[in-house]
Amino acid sequence: MVPVITLNAVDYAIIAGYILVMILVGYSLKKYMKTGEDFFLSGRSLPGWITGLAFLSANLGALEVIGMVANSAKYGIATVHFYWVGAIPAMVFLGIFMMPFYYGSRVRTVPEYLKLRYNEATRGLNAISFAVMTVLMSGISLYAMAILFEKLLNWPFHVSIVFAAAVVLLYVVWGGLSSSIYNEVIQFFLIWLGLLPIVFLGLKEVGGFAGFVAKLKEPMLHSIKYLGTSQNPLGVGWFGVVMGLGFVLSFGYWTTDFLVVQRALASKNINSARMTPIIASFPKMLVPIIVVIPGLVALAVLPQFSGTSGALPRYDDTLILLMKHYLPNGMLGLAITALLASFMSGMAGNVTAFTTVWTYDIYGAYLRRNKSDAHYVKVGKWATVIGILVSIGTAYIVLSFNNLMDYMQLIFSFFNAPLFATFLLGMFWRGATGWGGFFGLLIGILTAASHYVLYKVGALHYGSQMAANFYGAWWAWLAAFIVTIGVSLFTAKRNPEELRGLVFGLTPRIKASARWFARPAVWGTLAIALAILLNILFW
Amino acid sequence: MNEKIETSGIKGTEESQAGMSKGHVLDLKLPIGWLLSAYGLLLGIYGLVTKKEMYEKSLGFNVNLGWGVLMLVVGGAFLLAAFLKRNKKT
Repeated sequence: MVPVITLNAVDYAIIAGYILVMILVGYSLKKYMKTGEDFFLSGRSLPGWITGLAFLSANLGALEVIGMVANSAKYGIATVHFYWVGAIPAMVFLGIFMMPFYYGSRVRTVPEYLKLRYNEATRGLNAISFAVMTVLMSGISLYAMAILFEKLLNWPFHVSIVFAAAVVLLYVVWGGLSSSIYNEVIQFFLIWLGLLPIVFLGLKEVGGFAGFVAKLKEPMLHSIKYLGTSQNPLGVGWFGVVMGLGFVLSFGYWTTDFLVVQRALASKNINSARMTPIIASFPKMLVPIIVVIPGLVALAVLPQFSGTSGALPRYDDTLILLMKHYLPNGMLGLAITALLASFMSGMAGNVTAFTTVWTYDIYGAYLRRNKSDAHYVKVGKWATVIGILVSIGTAYIVLSFNNLMDYMQLIFSFFNAPLFATFLLGMFWRGATGWGGFFGLLIGILTAASHYVLYKVGALHYGSQMAANFYGAWWAWLAAFIVTIGVSLFTAKRNPEELRGLVFGLTPRIKASARWFARPAVWGTLAIALAILLNILFW
Repeated sequence: MNEKIETSGIKGTEESQAGMSKGHVLDLKLPIGWLLSAYGLLLGIYGLVTKKEMYEKSLGFNVNLGWGVLMLVVGGAFLLAAFLKRNKKT
């Protein structure tokens, strides 16, 4: 098979350098991983800038980058909604309003909060579904990486799988969450350094924004203007974008997904924990530079997208085609390393989240309680090995059943959307009871699944698959919200003493710092203001 | 507050919380600084020794040299920051 790109010795040196650094970082942490708090929570000692960048990088995986470039070739500038509406508000909300309960309660995982706030059944539902989904995601990352590099570079599929899994296994078993976080921060810098050259070269070749205006159809260049019209590239109108994406899906992911929340829990104090998602929101606003601009460049410049060749272009290939188009060897190695780094740190993030939830919320809660801390650390390391093996297995399953990949993100949203209602009521309404939480979550998940099935069999009609997803999330959230309130009104209330620190009104207010630049509220407001400004600029 | 938090039956958390475990033990500016500087040096030198034809696709710019220099500067800045912090401590 002829590879799309050929790498030379310099490129491989760059790749090898990164692998070496990842392993060395893991190795250097080995002797410090003594307690469970060290291994699963980085000792709760990390500064805000590290947890903030890791928070962002955990989300900025290779699949996200490639997928968003594909989206921007397909939908144009409207893709920014995934960032400026679909992320910033949720990140700021998490930092300012929810972190005091997450971090202040000293819970070690998301399911643990649910156990304390609601009941064991709620924790179990969330822990088991999250553990399964997250280890599947890890396998999907592994598969996607191996397939991409096989097509792109002729790297044998099996070798990529085993090699990547081995490297991640090593540095996570040695260094736990800290290893994962440190490597995510390094990945953050590599992603920007690897992809910015494409942005600069692309803008130069197209002729700046004026060039886009000349070469592309108008609906591709506006994020808001065409939302209500028939030329809407997204196929989703106002309500779907704001309430479905902006509110439910976005908040459901950023405020409850343990993969990202875990990074904030590793912070050294409550202020750093609150600042973590807010710090992350600023570079997040800039990510469209490296994912939206390339998509538009591809439309303007690449022959595959000009429509003359006849065949419909494969959008997922967009980023790769741009790399081949602009980058000579050397820079090419850097870009490939940036993708490799993102794939591997995505996998590592999923594995550490899985390991922590497994150890504390499944093994430690249902299988072997009251063991020593050292016992659980050992369980954690073994869980890492098992998690990696399951990921490898999943990667081979996906090889045979390709559709699993497409379904995974969808299935995540079945669980995240209603979970957000569970957390919203749990953190801000004292009256939410244990069974209210459980049944709300359960009904929400079932609503999401049924909605999807009804859409697929044609009983419900939407403008696009994306519209169906956004609306499905909204209805699932609403169902969970209503059922939680309803059931709570008829079931036994919790003792307020037990809820101290977990819910608004029963938790001491955090005194705002005298120095304005240390206050999360100040930076959060600034982030929201900038996001609004950007929305106006690119409307 | 430690007593109120149920830790799903896991002993020893009180001790670990009292024992001040140090999770943050690596000055991250160092590996980032070294990695970026090494990359900058490698790409910069590669950019110097390669021929112009290679850069036709990158619109004539010798991106290896240019970006290499940039990375060397950024890497150097991280190393400098790490060095200054270490000196401030001692």
